[in-house]
Amino acid sequence: MDAYLVAILTIAGIYVILALALNLQFGLTGLVNFGVVGFFGLGAYASGIATESFHAPFVGGLAVAMATGAVAGGLLALLCLRLSGDFLAIVTLGFAETVRLIFNNEDWLTGGPKGLLIMTRPVLADFGRTANAWMVLGVVLAGVAVTLALMLRLAGTPYGRVLRAIREDELVPATLGKNVFVYRLQSFVIGSMLMAAAGSLYAHYVQTITPDNFTTPVAILVWMSVIVGGPGNMRGAVVGALAVVTIYEGSRFLTPWLGFLDAEQVSALRFIVIGTVLILVIRFRPEGLLPEPRHTPVMPATRRPALKG
Amino acid sequence: MQMFINALATAAILAPAAVAFTLIFTLFRYANFAAGGFVTVGAFAAWTLNAPLGLPLWAGGVGAMGVCAGAVALSDRVVFRPLRGRSGGTLLLVSIALSFVIENIVRFCFGAQVKGFDLPLTGPLMFAGLRVPKETLAVIAISLVATLAVGALLTFTPIGRALRAVADNPSLANVRGLPVPGVEAFGVIVAGALFGLSGTLVGVDLAIDPNLNWAIAIPVIAAAIVGGLGSPLGAAIGAVVIGLAEELTAAHFTPTYKGAVGFVVIALVLLLRPQGLLGIAVDRK
Repeated sequence: MDAYLVAILTIAGIYVILALALNLQFGLTGLVNFGVVGFFGLGAYASGIATESFHAPFVGGLAVAMATGAVAGGLLALLCLRLSGDFLAIVTLGFAETVRLIFNNEDWLTGGPKGLLIMTRPVLADFGRTANAWMVLGVVLAGVAVTLALMLRLAGTPYGRVLRAIREDELVPATLGKNVFVYRLQSFVIGSMLMAAAGSLYAHYVQTITPDNFTTPVAILVWMSVIVGGPGNMRGAVVGALAVVTIYEGSRFLTPWLGFLDAEQVSALRFIVIGTVLILVIRFRPEGLLPEPRHTPVMPATRRPALKG
Repeated sequence: MQMFINALATAAILAPAAVAFTLIFTLFRYANFAAGGFVTVGAFAAWTLNAPLGLPLWAGGVGAMGVCAGAVALSDRVVFRPLRGRSGGTLLLVSIALSFVIENIVRFCFGAQVKGFDLPLTGPLMFAGLRVPKETLAVIAISLVATLAVGALLTFTPIGRALRAVADNPSLANVRGLPVPGVEAFGVIVAGALFGLSGTLVGVDLAIDPNLNWAIAIPVIAAAIVGGLGSPLGAAIGAVVIGLAEELTAAHFTPTYKGAVGFVVIALVLLLRPQGLLGIAVDRK
């Protein structure tokens, strides 16, 4: 049970990073990225290939993954960010499918459907199964902490305010002399980079990645985390990801009561419930569990008396 | 030449769904990504009527059109209507979630096995050294007739004119005394029937599989974008372009990357001609 809890927490941590990244793109900036799994998978494979074929250490793999994610995100953004949201959605969706086709078919690089075996682990030394699992969890949690700190900082700065303004009405920041395109591009690239980083952590955690790890259900879970948690609220994304992983993993324990259904039907039923909840939340509580704090204009602080001495 | 026939067969499958996607887009201004889900529903509806119930395939096809029209109308009523006026991004997200729900409902009911219609085996027709399976010929003919019929319906009939008027400017159409909700409902039903037709044709030419969803949604949306969103004729031409591009990829590179064609074609169109082949530049926000 202990090992199971560690495993769930590790996965939850990875989902938190994905949700935070998507929250930057969608929650703050309003960019509809359906290619979450594409960037996630790209990061996983880039990291795996860097460490296995080129014998890079884990940190090197992580760096390669982030660079790959950033470049891919930048290219996609250049392609369609000038146009409106629908194009970004279909292009990122197509991107995710295409990336998965590449994983499946370029056996020489990715191992094809059999998957890629990754021996490198983010541990100091081999201290046995349990200790290793805890160390990996530690690395993932450190990643979560760094990402969350970065996002909270980003959301609170004037930079974050510009992103919000672009989401609400791009005309206003444009009139104020902000280069809307560059802001969108940066937001998309940072988000993609973080998704790829999550992919790298995932790859070195599970150690065998197959193209089947990177399919639409993962993207739906990440989207659900952001929508349920509260788009635009970084703490909300964390809460949302934890809630979604708990519901998703917890529903495994319902299987014994659903004995009259076969495994395929149980899996389908879980996804039906998840998709339906997503639609219901969008309809009845679009602001999510933790709504984005409303920004009321702050009066300039009264000048403090100058300190003497 | 053989390749051209294969391309037409692919186009024939995509065209009705692409026209339906465009129709919904012009009427309600959102990209309905559940297109693939509805096509899958159509394929399974036709299969249920054909294989287990033993009806002839044409009856299965008509039934599928009815089922899909009902499914699209229901989804519009239950899911999309309460959200009218929300941003395009929200509706898009909802349509993806809906697609995911539909895919899994189909999986729940029918399992993950690939199905095929109960069709008598017929030899291919041979002319001028070409092998044309009769089914392929039928798929192309039916799709062509259906697409032309919808085109004619939109262009020449009073209800078609009303539909275009509502798509153009619903409040103006309302002021002019058009029954806007009725016209919208009609458009939704036509779109649903077209999805059902695409589903039946997919089943004839390829296989019936719950995983059809994204595999069909991406080329369908690609066809609609290539043709210029908002132009039914453009969507049909876009379907031919996608079909040709897929066959060229299969012939000159590798068939495994057929699935990536839609993505690449959209990328090229966005780079070179963002308004699509026949579309006028629409300001969409």
